[in-house]
Amino acid sequence: MTEEIAITVNNVWKLFRRQKQRTFKEMLPALMSGGKKNVIDTFWALQDVDLKIKKGETFGIVGPNGSGKSTLLKLIAGVTQPTKGSIKVSGVIAPLIELGAGFHPEMTGRENIFLNAAILGMTKAEIAPRVEEIIDFSEIRDSIDQPVKRYSSGMYMRLAFSVAVHVNFDILLVDEILSVGDLKFQQKCFRLMDKFKKDEGKTIVYVGHNLEKVKTFCDRVAYLNFGKIIDVGPAAPVVEQYQNA
Amino acid sequence: MNSIFLAIKTKRYRELLNQLVNRDLAQRYKQSVLGYFWVIINPLAQMLVMSFVFSRIFHSSAIGVPYPLFLFTALLPWTLFSSSLTSAVMSLVSNSGLLAKIYFPREILVLSTLCAKIVDFAFSSLILIAMMIFYKQGITWNVLWVIPIFLIQFIFTYGLSLLFAAANLFYRDVQYLLNLIVLVWMYLTPIMYNVEIFPAQLRWIFQVNPMAVIVNAYREVILSCGMPNLFSLGIALVVAIITCLIGFRVFKKLEGQFADSV
Repeated sequence: MTEEIAITVNNVWKLFRRQKQRTFKEMLPALMSGGKKNVIDTFWALQDVDLKIKKGETFGIVGPNGSGKSTLLKLIAGVTQPTKGSIKVSGVIAPLIELGAGFHPEMTGRENIFLNAAILGMTKAEIAPRVEEIIDFSEIRDSIDQPVKRYSSGMYMRLAFSVAVHVNFDILLVDEILSVGDLKFQQKCFRLMDKFKKDEGKTIVYVGHNLEKVKTFCDRVAYLNFGKIIDVGPAAPVVEQYQNA
Repeated sequence: MNSIFLAIKTKRYRELLNQLVNRDLAQRYKQSVLGYFWVIINPLAQMLVMSFVFSRIFHSSAIGVPYPLFLFTALLPWTLFSSSLTSAVMSLVSNSGLLAKIYFPREILVLSTLCAKIVDFAFSSLILIAMMIFYKQGITWNVLWVIPIFLIQFIFTYGLSLLFAAANLFYRDVQYLLNLIVLVWMYLTPIMYNVEIFPAQLRWIFQVNPMAVIVNAYREVILSCGMPNLFSLGIALVVAIITCLIGFRVFKKLEGQFADSV
């Protein structure tokens, strides 16, 4: 039996450049003494990463800071290209955008819903019937016609999350965004994601530091360190391996 | 040329463009008393001050029209050009949060900035219309030439904006350099003066500056009720299209690296 694959990460390598000297004044002597090598320093953010994420699967990525988790998400989202290897994604992606990256602080919550939905690829006509649902889910009905700059960071996050989960998508990318907001809302988000997972067969890629959550929420987990995959497999054993490392 | 506007043919990207333009425009009137009036007050004040100073040097008897009208017919499209460039150069950098998280054709960010500036331009054009009525400036059908002239200006602006916006993402020096370029360029464009003050053998400088050709063409069709110089305008069109094609290709080539360098 072959299962359908949502995301194929095929021997992906990603090279990052780091400029050692930031200013011209510092750069010039370095160039003179040792050429280009002295100025630009490269490192592999990802090395030979090979993954297959199945449709309907909830896939976790764990690893220490700087292990390449976010880079991998960016590659899947298509905002950056691999240096070597290839990535194939089938389905529409909805990334949970960083706190209000697509929000305009002077615009009201309601106006921002339409803006954010457009960024996520929805037309006005498609999102309009869901606006009430989005407002209800975010629990900020009282402030929805206020400029979002008056919002607390929790309200910001709730609205951003609400919009992201109410657009049409097949694959949801979650990057630790849920660590913001109160416990009650977090639980609500996980209940909703559970629904996506069980009832709607959506694929979820979850990057998280809350390891207990990863263990219970994800089907499979990849453990990343220094840009390499240390292990991939069922959630509990892989997360434990990382905890003991 | 076709692929340049491909993004806009898709409905969802048109919608995104629309929303981003709204966002840019919203900045104007939110938490501000005069709101959109600033779009009119700024060029109006600029025109009044410049008229006060330069009408001492350029007499309307020599130019054939009242100096304020002469100045503003050129200042208006120039302001569109310069403010478009200086805003567009920031359009990718100021949306770095989006660049790093979600894919959509990045030129939409540049295009939305330009569209918002065109809305400003439309508002400030009201001053020109009011001035034409005040000075009893007559028009003929030739005034319709402003449409192709405007399009040439837009294509040229779009091409340059794509280049500068992409370059600024890698080196922020570009935004400072651009301010300098725009300043110098303004003096090299016949806005405050007319090309006739230069000897004939130096006037070719204005032929190779598309903005000079565009500004002269606006004046010709609005103030002199004549036809624009089609030869010069043709060259400007070719330069505009080439700039746009190069700008677009460079932009698309670098697009894949945008998220890595924000």
